[in-house]
This record gives sequence, C-alpha cells and structure tokens, in this order.
Amino acid sequence: MALLNALTVLASALLVVQNPRASEYQVKAVFLFNFVQFVDWPSPAVSDSQRPPPLLIGILGTDPFGPFLEEAVRGERLGARPIQLRRYRAIADIGECNVLFISRSENERVPEILSVLKNRPVLTVSDGDAFADHGGMIQFVTDKNRIRLRINLEAAQAANVTISSKLLRVAEIVRPPRR
Amino acid sequence: MTSTRTLFLTVLLAVWAIPARAQQRDSLEALKRLTLDELMNVEVMSVSRRPERLSEAPSAIQVITQDDIRQSGATSLPEALRLASNLQVAQVDARQWAISARGFNSTTANKLLVLIDGRTVYTPLFSGVFWDVQDVLLSDVERIEVISGPGATLWGANAVNGVINVITKDAKDTRGLLVSGGGGTELRGLGSGRYGGGLGARGSYRIYGKAFSRDPTLLPNGLDNTDDWRMGQGGFRLDYDASTSHHLTLQGDWYNGRIDQQTAADIAVSGANVVAKWAHPLSAKSDIAAQAYYDRTHRDIPGTFGEDLDVYDIDLQHYALVATRHNVVWGVGYRLINDNVANTAALAFLPAHVARQWLTAFAQDEIALAPERLHVTIGTKIEHNDYTGFEIQPSGRLSWTIDSASTLWTAISRAVRTPSRIDREFFAPGQPPYFLAGGPNFESEEELAYEAGYRHHRGALLFSLATFYSRYHGLRSLEQVNPPAATPIVIANGQDGESYGAELTAQYRVSDRWRLRGGYTELRVHIWPNPGSTDTSRGATESQAPDRQFFLQSSLNLPAHLELDAGFRYVGAIAKQQVPAYAELNARLTWRPIAALDLSIVGQNLLHEQHVEFGTTTARRQIERGVYGMAQWHF
Repeated sequence: MALLNALTVLASALLVVQNPRASEYQVKAVFLFNFVQFVDWPSPAVSDSQRPPPLLIGILGTDPFGPFLEEAVRGERLGARPIQLRRYRAIADIGECNVLFISRSENERVPEILSVLKNRPVLTVSDGDAFADHGGMIQFVTDKNRIRLRINLEAAQAANVTISSKLLRVAEIVRPPRR
Repeated sequence: MTSTRTLFLTVLLAVWAIPARAQQRDSLEALKRLTLDELMNVEVMSVSRRPERLSEAPSAIQVITQDDIRQSGATSLPEALRLASNLQVAQVDARQWAISARGFNSTTANKLLVLIDGRTVYTPLFSGVFWDVQDVLLSDVERIEVISGPGATLWGANAVNGVINVITKDAKDTRGLLVSGGGGTELRGLGSGRYGGGLGARGSYRIYGKAFSRDPTLLPNGLDNTDDWRMGQGGFRLDYDASTSHHLTLQGDWYNGRIDQQTAADIAVSGANVVAKWAHPLSAKSDIAAQAYYDRTHRDIPGTFGEDLDVYDIDLQHYALVATRHNVVWGVGYRLINDNVANTAALAFLPAHVARQWLTAFAQDEIALAPERLHVTIGTKIEHNDYTGFEIQPSGRLSWTIDSASTLWTAISRAVRTPSRIDREFFAPGQPPYFLAGGPNFESEEELAYEAGYRHHRGALLFSLATFYSRYHGLRSLEQVNPPAATPIVIANGQDGESYGAELTAQYRVSDRWRLRGGYTELRVHIWPNPGSTDTSRGATESQAPDRQFFLQSSLNLPAHLELDAGFRYVGAIAKQQVPAYAELNARLTWRPIAALDLSIVGQNLLHEQHVEFGTTTARRQIERGVYGMAQWHF
C-alpha cells in the first residue's frame, strides 16, 4: 500500500509541472506561415504612407496555437510586407486580413462566417469538420498522425485568391456539389 | 521487501528526474525549413508512447489497415488477423482459435499480448486470450498493429513472442449512420449499426450494436459438431478535446453470447468493459497519457468450468524528447484481478478464488547516435507479480537508416512468461486423487531473443524481412511424480527450447486500381527435456505451428463501381498434430451502385468443401466452405 501511495504522489507531482501545448498546432502554425508564400491576393490598395502594408493572419475564436503561430511569424516578411497576427472574437471584429484561421470553437457558425466574408479576398483556413465542403478554402485534416490539406479551389477562385500549384499539388481538391 | 520497494522507487525517481523541458523554438525553426511535402510527412504527436514512422521502427511490425480488413471480407477479429503473415492463425472450431507468433501456438497460447484500444484482453487462467469474446465493429477499426518478437520492454508480461494492438477510430472519424446486414452459409447472419455525432464543438461520440449467428463446424466423421454460436455486442466511444491539449476518451463494450455443446448445456459468455483515457501533450516534445479500465467477464462451460473475472488496471506514461538526442518513454502500471472459478468434476483451479496484483514500471531511451541515421534504443521493464516477485525484461535495439528508403535493424531482448493459474493451481480431475496437478514451484519461462531485419519503402513497393533466433529456458513440462508410473503428473519447468526463422512481407501498388500484399514465414521450433525431466513430449503440448506459411491478398478496383478482392493462403502441416498442409482462398466482389451503398458477396475457404486447421486427430474440427452476402449503407 505504501508503494501505491508513493506512486499516487509521484503521478500527481508530475501533472502540475507543465504548461499545456499541442504539437499538432505547431505543425499547423508552420503550415499557415507557408500558405502566405503560396497564395496571391489582389494587389493591396496603395496606402498614403511609404511603409508597405502588413500581411495579416487572423484567428477567429479560441486561439488553439498557444505561442506557436506567434513564434512562427515573428520577424517574418513577405517581400517587404511584415507578417502580423490579429485575433478576433466575433465575426463583426474581422477587419482587413489576408488569411483567416477559423477555430473549432466557431464550428457551428462557419456558414455564417463564410457568408459574411463572401468573395472578400481572404484565405479561409480551418480544421473544423467538412470545412472545405461547406465553402471554406483550406481545411486541415489529421490522417494517421499527419496533417493533410483539403482545398476548395472554386471558393478560392470566387474570392480572387490565387493558390499556387505547388500547394495544390500536395492537397486534396474538394469539388463542391453542383447546385 | 522494504529495501526492494526503495530500490523500485529510486529507479522511478531517477527516470523521472531527467529534465523534460524542451527546446520548442528550435523545432519550430526546423519545421519552417521543411518543404510542403516534408511538412506533410511530419508526424504530429499521437496520444501515447512515442510516435514512430513505421519504416523506422526497429521491430518486426506489420500493420493491417481498415482497407485491408474491409477488402478481406473478414467478419471477426481472428479472421482479420489472418492478414498478418507474421502470426500463426488457426481456426479450431466455430468459436475457438489458436493464435500465436513465432510458434508456441495452441488453444491456450500464452506468449502473445493482445490489446484492444489499450485494454489488455487476457485471462489469468492461462495467460492467453479467449478469442470467442474479443469482438469489435470491424468497420470502426482504424488499424491493427502486429509485432512479432518480444515486446516485453514496453508492453506487458505476455509479450514474449508478439503484441497485437487493435486500434479503433477516434469518434470524430465515425460520424453518421452506418447500417449493415447480411448472411449466408457459415456466417448465418450478421447485423450491425453504428451512429456517431458531435458533442458541441469539441467532442464526438458513437454508439454501436451488432449481433451474429454462426453455423457449427463438423466432427472428424463429418457429423455436426453442434457448436452453433449466437452473440450480441454493443458499445460506445466518446472523444472529447477538453482543451487543445487535453484529450479525453471514454469507451465501453458489452456482450452476451451462447454456444451450443454436444453433450452438455450451452456455453454462456458475457462481459462488459469501460476504458477511460487522458492524453495531454505537455509541449511539442513531451506528452503524458493515463488510462484506467475495468473489464468484467463471465464464462460458463457446463461440464468443464465456469469463471467470473474482474480486472482493474491503471497506467501512466510519459514521453519526452530530451536534449534533442534522447527520446525517453517511461511509465508505471498497476493491475488487480479478481478471479473466481466454478470448479467441476472434470477439473479444478485451487484455490477457486484468487486476487492477484501486478505492478510494472518501464523506461526506454532512444538515443540518436547520428540523427536521422543511427539510433540505439535501450530499455527495461520491471514487473512485480504475486507468483515470482520481481522480473526484469531489458532490451536493446539498433536501427540504421541507410537512406530515405531503407532501414536495417537488430535487437536483443529478454522476456519472461510469468506463471498463470493453469501452471500452479490447476488440477484434474476436480477431486483427488489427481492425475494432473499444478506445480507449486513453477517459475517464469525465460526467453532470450536475437533479431535482425531490413525494411525498404520506395514508391509503390514496401518490403520487409525479419529474422530471429530465440533461446528458451524453463519451458513448461509435465513431469511424472513416481516414474515410471505414467500418472500422476505435475507441471514444472523441465524443458528448454529454441526457435528460429524469417518473416517476409511485401506490399506493391501495381497501379492506382490494383494493390498486392503478401507474406511468407519460415519457422522452426525445437523443444527438449532438461536433464532430470521425465517429459518426453518434445514440446508437443507447448508448440503446434506449421513450418511455413504463405499469404497473398489482391485488391482490384474495377470499372462500373466494382471491387474484386482475393486472399490466398498456404499453411504448412502441423507435424505434432498430424494436421496436413492446406491452401485456401477467400474472395469478395463488391458493387457500389451509389456512394452510400455497398453490396458484397464473399466466399471464405472456397477451395475445399471442408478442411482442418488445428487439433489432434480426434479433437480436430472441420471448417466448411462459407458464402455470405452483405449490404452496407452509410448516411
């Protein structure tokens, strides 16, 4: 019994040490960072200032990335444009952004979110179920412990977002049912 | 005792004290340098033990995928296990199977560990598996990993010659309604239903039920063996992401079955289990997982014996990448069983009721001597059981990745098969005078195994060769108490033995539509009595396995939504039972008129009206050719 007690103490000691993080999202963060380089948006409106406008990656809903996305884009640029993160709580908060990651916390609001964004040149990304089938552009799926991509090409084209063939080649292309 | 406990704890603490902090920043930078293709090949942390690319795992592992199972037309777990050519699988009668790896097969095979979603399915009566109550909804199986050779460092004490790991799908991957039903000649009827859905944004669940009825096998003289079998099973699984870093799983099964007997009332089997798991990635390079389960089984074989067994088990394990070169996994586990046997005039387990405990701890370190090239893995398991006290089961493995396609590996392992109730507490007949008695001094059987293998994966071809030599000490023997009198006999550790052989498997994707998968195994087992032993069986009761077997599965997608699959197997003679060699063929034709509907017709054991796979001349049963039709809807 003493041994059991000791084990219990040991186990509970172990459980309090750590700060929670999922490596799954480390990989997804790097994917998001990569997407920026394989996607073309319509040229941004010329701004008054001399500084090039930042390239914005938005996260809608509960941020699942922990520090990973922050670290993945810190100090990174696309050409002259610095890459920056934005976090949005609700659809109404979504401002100008180039990539929008929609958290699983928003799963039930996905159709609404997509209709709000409709045809705006925003690359929509999520790991929610059937995201690409519902008109999202890039969906992460985990298959045999590996991250796979499903891309709804028509949705991207409709929004004037051009996805490089290099990215398309490694993805499954989702064809939405004809209406 | 106090000093051994102290030692045990010291070892645990020493392992635990290895710093678990990881260099996340470094790995992120490394990930960013990968190409898209490489990034897609990165394995994300799975929930337990450390993830390992199959092409790099330094052991003789074969994987049966969901596609393999579906295409084979298998209707039970043992039938699906025929797809692993490193297993010896023999159907004994309608409900009984003899399944083992690297020989030592029998209906009470005791050197194989079988896990279903982490739950050890195991009877302490003989350290083996009652295959008639191990069922799952096969369409919910993600994959079955079959490792031949000692897995004792990481896994439990049964893993002397192999580990079978049945892994079902996460509930988020089984949403929707799946209904299937069908029947035929041997499989009279099989119906199943599963429904899965979401629980908010973070969780998923599924529930399932199935029932089947099977036709009896035939006696050697061709008469009905009256082992008709009916069974029902149901269960659930719940997967919940409490946050991005806490994954919870709760699952359970319940079953109830009846099997006819010739000369006594029906065999009744029933049981239930519930498993709770928690997986928690601590960082990108470290995770922790815990699981607890309760498993209850009831078995009543009128005229032979009855058993009520409760198993309680709790496990904790931790994985960490330490100092970039050390992949450390360690864990602790505790198991309590409460086993109550109803003895009969034929046999007895004495005492009838026992409670037994197991305490295990393991630690393993995979060290990258040359990163991506040369890895050495050392580890040991320390187990304490109520029969023999402490057992130590160390192993060392070396894997050399020659290039991105080829890996060479070698291993040396010590494993033990600890005593089970049948070794020490078994008596026949049920009352004295006994002609057979358990050995009060029966100790663990020991194995020292040497393995070497080669694995190649390039493009459409996957090829693997594993070779092995094992030496056994103290194998179970039956000793005459008063020689030369043939009885009474007592169980002892009077035999030694050796086994050697090679396991070859290959997969080849001929085209997008045609896939081939095959395997060939050569195996020799020699068992001899030690000086002083009166056992002259030369292992006839301990190992009944063919010298060679061959397997080939072909999966073909035809135009017009048709699929044609065939599985051929050749199994050599089992010399010790005079079971002749046989060849058999299974085939399946499926038509998918719409995406949601599969219509299949399956033939099993098509080459012969009936054939024998296992058993001495009087005990063997004939397995008949079977044909069944099946419809499956998916909404």
